[in-house]
Amino acid sequence: MRLNNLLIYFLISFLISCSDNKIYKQENYIFGTIIGIKIYGESKINAEKVSNKIFDEFQRLHELLHPWEKSIITDINNAISKSKSISINNNEIISILRSAKYFETQTQSLFNPSIGKLIDLWGFHSNDLNRDKIPNQNKIQKLILSKPSMQSIKIKDEILTSNNKNVQIDLGGYAKGYALDQAKKILVKNNVKNALINIGGNILALGKNGEKAWRVGIQNPRKPNVIATIDLEPGWSIGTSGDYQRYIIIDDKRYSHLINPNTGFPENRTQSATILIPPSKNSGIKSDVFSKPLFIAKTKNKINIAKSLNINYFLIIMNDNSIFISKSMNDKIKWEENIDKKNITIF
Amino acid sequence: MIKKILQFSKLIKSGDWFVIILFCILIIISAKTLWNLPQGKYLEIYKNNEILAIYSLNQQISKTINGIKGKTEIIINNGRVRFSSSPCSKKYCIHQGWISKTNQTIICIPNKISISIVGTKKTYDSINY
Repeated sequence: MRLNNLLIYFLISFLISCSDNKIYKQENYIFGTIIGIKIYGESKINAEKVSNKIFDEFQRLHELLHPWEKSIITDINNAISKSKSISINNNEIISILRSAKYFETQTQSLFNPSIGKLIDLWGFHSNDLNRDKIPNQNKIQKLILSKPSMQSIKIKDEILTSNNKNVQIDLGGYAKGYALDQAKKILVKNNVKNALINIGGNILALGKNGEKAWRVGIQNPRKPNVIATIDLEPGWSIGTSGDYQRYIIIDDKRYSHLINPNTGFPENRTQSATILIPPSKNSGIKSDVFSKPLFIAKTKNKINIAKSLNINYFLIIMNDNSIFISKSMNDKIKWEENIDKKNITIF
Repeated sequence: MIKKILQFSKLIKSGDWFVIILFCILIIISAKTLWNLPQGKYLEIYKNNEILAIYSLNQQISKTINGIKGKTEIIINNGRVRFSSSPCSKKYCIHQGWISKTNQTIICIPNKISISIVGTKKTYDSINY
């Protein structure tokens, strides 16, 4: 009888060990995209509690920063379009706007969060992308010539004014990164050491997945599989700007949501730009913001922009399938497809 | 009836149990290692963030799942899949229509049911896109 019990015990523990219950996983739909949270090595109750706190925070930010449904941002935009000043008694918004302005300068205005009018003109201020005509070129030209910029926004004693009526704030390339940094704060505050947060492809890793680093797959822009995998060291984040998630097709031509603030047209030479950002206080924001200038800049300027922004890890896939990759990225990445070496240029 | 079972179980000695359990373990191990899923894509169905079932996408079948609000119906049709009915109010899940590519996901938050398409091998924890 003893032997029986022992064997049954072994059988049960064998079956339990087969199911991987060290990782807690939850998904949700916020910011118009899928959010995934994975937490390693916490009790299910604790992991669930912390995940829910993060989702609550994301929902709060979604409502706070929404570019076209009523939010503080749309209130500000309404005031700006009427050349009125508006009082903002919200320190978080003020610091977000200042930081967005700082990043606009840093990226030589290739990340420009004040071109909401252009984005709307192309039909991207909508949950359904069903525009089937190119916007009126005169309208685009007028907007470009008025040079919308965060520089025209002044905030003094909580009063915001803009001397450019065409400025409309859209934090689409910033909010998800900011949310990642907020998620990191919540995880640290709640003593969660190992987690992976994915907001619509923008990922931040905290700690590890057990003994191993968190491993991330990089989506192939034109095929339904990953093109490469990469290990995210503790605290690192990864972000991609791509033309394959939000785009419209007009006359068999693809127009992505990544609009070049200098031309007013979607950038069409690039399929994707992926960057890795080392741990820092605002690494989430950087992983979101800094992929935009690499995606939008002219081919020959891309590498210089990466250098000026101190981005040591980048992978850029061009429309002719040629690949620009930094040396550090090339050393770290593991290709999951056979890539023709002729197509790769290492910088 | 119960007496009969008890009598029968008395006939099985500890040595027999040893053999029975040994074979059970062998079957489980060999099933896990040898039963490689055939090539193709699979549908993972999650309820309350826990995996409920995995189906091959290469079939024509509909499945009804009891979520927290009621019955959700999912249709698999030779390589693609969609929500066909759901008790949620906004029906976003149904409006998503068919999905067929690896890593595509549809979530129905009110009924706490989500589906995603996975390939046969998955060597990473998350996808950057």
